[in-house]
Amino acid sequence: MEAVFFKGALLAYLVATLGYTASLVVRRVMIARATVWLLLAAFLIHGVSLALRCFSRGLTPAVHPYETLSFFAWAMTGTYLAFQLKTKTRVLGAFVSPLAFLLMVISVSRLGVEVNVPDILKGTLVPVHVALSVVGEALLAIACGAGILYLAQDSQIRRRKMTPLSRYLPSLDDLDRVNHVSLLSGFTLLTVGVLVGSVWASTVWGKPWPWDPKLLWTLAAWFFYAVLIHQRLAIGWKGRKIAMLSIAAFAVLFFAFVGVHSFFKTVHRFQ
Amino acid sequence: MNIVLIGMNHKTAPLEIRERLAFSCGEGLDPLREILKGPQVMEALYLATCNRVEVLANTLEVNEAVDSVKGFILSQGNLAPGEMEKCLYVHCGSDAVRHLFRVASSLDSMVMGEPQILGQVKDAYRQCVASKASGVILNRLLHQAFRVAKRVRSETAIAQNAVSVSFAAVELAKKILGHLQGRTILLIGAGEMSELAARHLIRHGAERIIVANRTYARAVRLAEEFHGFPVDFEHLEEKLQEVDIVISSTGAAGYVITREMIQAALRRRKNRLLFLIDIAVPRDIDPAAGGVDNVYLYNIDDLQAVVDENIRGRLGEAEKAERIIDDEVVKFSEWLNTLEVVPTIVSLREKAEAIMKDELEKTLAGMRHLADGEKKNIEILASSIVKKILHDPITGLKEESQNGSAIPFVAVMRRLFKLDPK
Repeated sequence: MEAVFFKGALLAYLVATLGYTASLVVRRVMIARATVWLLLAAFLIHGVSLALRCFSRGLTPAVHPYETLSFFAWAMTGTYLAFQLKTKTRVLGAFVSPLAFLLMVISVSRLGVEVNVPDILKGTLVPVHVALSVVGEALLAIACGAGILYLAQDSQIRRRKMTPLSRYLPSLDDLDRVNHVSLLSGFTLLTVGVLVGSVWASTVWGKPWPWDPKLLWTLAAWFFYAVLIHQRLAIGWKGRKIAMLSIAAFAVLFFAFVGVHSFFKTVHRFQ
Repeated sequence: MNIVLIGMNHKTAPLEIRERLAFSCGEGLDPLREILKGPQVMEALYLATCNRVEVLANTLEVNEAVDSVKGFILSQGNLAPGEMEKCLYVHCGSDAVRHLFRVASSLDSMVMGEPQILGQVKDAYRQCVASKASGVILNRLLHQAFRVAKRVRSETAIAQNAVSVSFAAVELAKKILGHLQGRTILLIGAGEMSELAARHLIRHGAERIIVANRTYARAVRLAEEFHGFPVDFEHLEEKLQEVDIVISSTGAAGYVITREMIQAALRRRKNRLLFLIDIAVPRDIDPAAGGVDNVYLYNIDDLQAVVDENIRGRLGEAEKAERIIDDEVVKFSEWLNTLEVVPTIVSLREKAEAIMKDELEKTLAGMRHLADGEKKNIEILASSIVKKILHDPITGLKEESQNGSAIPFVAVMRRLFKLDPK
């Protein structure tokens, strides 16, 4: 059953991606507006599939890194849809939807593979750690997407031409606000998530912070974000600089999140 | 019936001629009544705006009607016939329909895509209905023209992008600042264009306006006009930190706002986005200020370039609009053709016969015991009832058609008997 819903979600993400691509090609916000509903459908179907997984094997939504990707895609879509309620940034879906689809395609290769949850992952701390960190990372992905759109819109306006692309993209102020809110909330969730993880680590590994490539990269990304948010709040950096930095910081974070598994051996791998 | 359109617009007639005509018609004289006095003019619409004077008429005899309308224009405008001939255009049949659709959709306007013309056509039609100058044809034609205009607006981008400098400024401000509600404008110097831009920004939600001028008294006066706050030129720099949009148009020879001023202001305002509009020639704002992060500087040429680009865009959209209009002209001609007497008689007979056949079948199906001869008699009875009932209306239609006044009857007939496929 889980697989059926997963494939259904994959299909819905694909259709939503096509919708956003079409809206980008003809530069009509109308199409993006309709596609939001498709993305909502994808989110709901995907949610059912994740819920079924949690039922079948306890609360942990993700054990293998590929499963984490699917959970991340779901969280990112959800946070984006929540933003949708408050801001006029429908076009942001053109960033979220293809990314979610891509992650689902990678994740689908693990579909149906029997997963044995190791004993050390059974407990309440792990699901809390996974949920907080992944939702935090999803919010930071939204900040990165808003940053990309910001740079695109900024360059259009600086070129002193009102191009169809510029009309299609959200306003600079809206994008900056989305970036700001998602940076702050994403960073907070990630911080708490990592702390919970470290409490868990001290109970099963005996030390709260083993020096491991995954944890080092995560720490690097965390510092990057800490500096960025400091500049934003205390110094008052805004707009272009923050947009560029939130893209760069997310690249580091994303590497720590999934890329690290392909290049290093890490204790943070349970399958 | 023939639809004709006689008129002049900003392309064919100079302003003096248009205004002479529009003016004299405004003076107590009802142009519609004058036009309807003409021979063979059955319905008429009179449209006069600052860019056009047009008469749309439904007539039995084109040449006579055209002459009488021309005569009316001639007498009203005090024009010499030769002079007038040069200015007037005459369209007949589907050309007249197409012209009306183009006018209503603002394709024929001086600023293509401007929204006022549709309202003016609607007013003219209201006048026409009030004077009982409209009938079946013009009612249908005008309502279709309004629909066409709506279609053109929604299916093409002809009216979308700003084609004036001040609207371009509003459009840009929205792309930078999102919404304009609660935003503050700093207006430096005075000038028609900068005041117009400020007015447009206020209409789109900007709330506070600060006016700076070298002469403080002028700043006070202008601030009163805008319900804003005057400020001394010396305090200009500190105001830069609280505003979102700056519009500058002083006659100063050097830069009024330098890059250093902007940089300092931006530090104080924690890099909130700032939109600078420099309308002055020579320029008021150092172009280098536009290079500062989170500052967007547009000068008059940049805004004009945006406008030019938008106008080019509208021309492209106009082609799409012309296709919509072609399509609608065909639809109207099709409807017009149904108003001919002969096809109406044919479809009336067809409908009656179809009903008769249906009912006969139903009845005879339940009377299998009847002999063939008896069935025949029943059929003859039914068909002669139908023929007798239809006889009078059909003869009546033919008679009206010989008098040239069949159209309203045909229209009513088609409606009451539901002869037009929905």
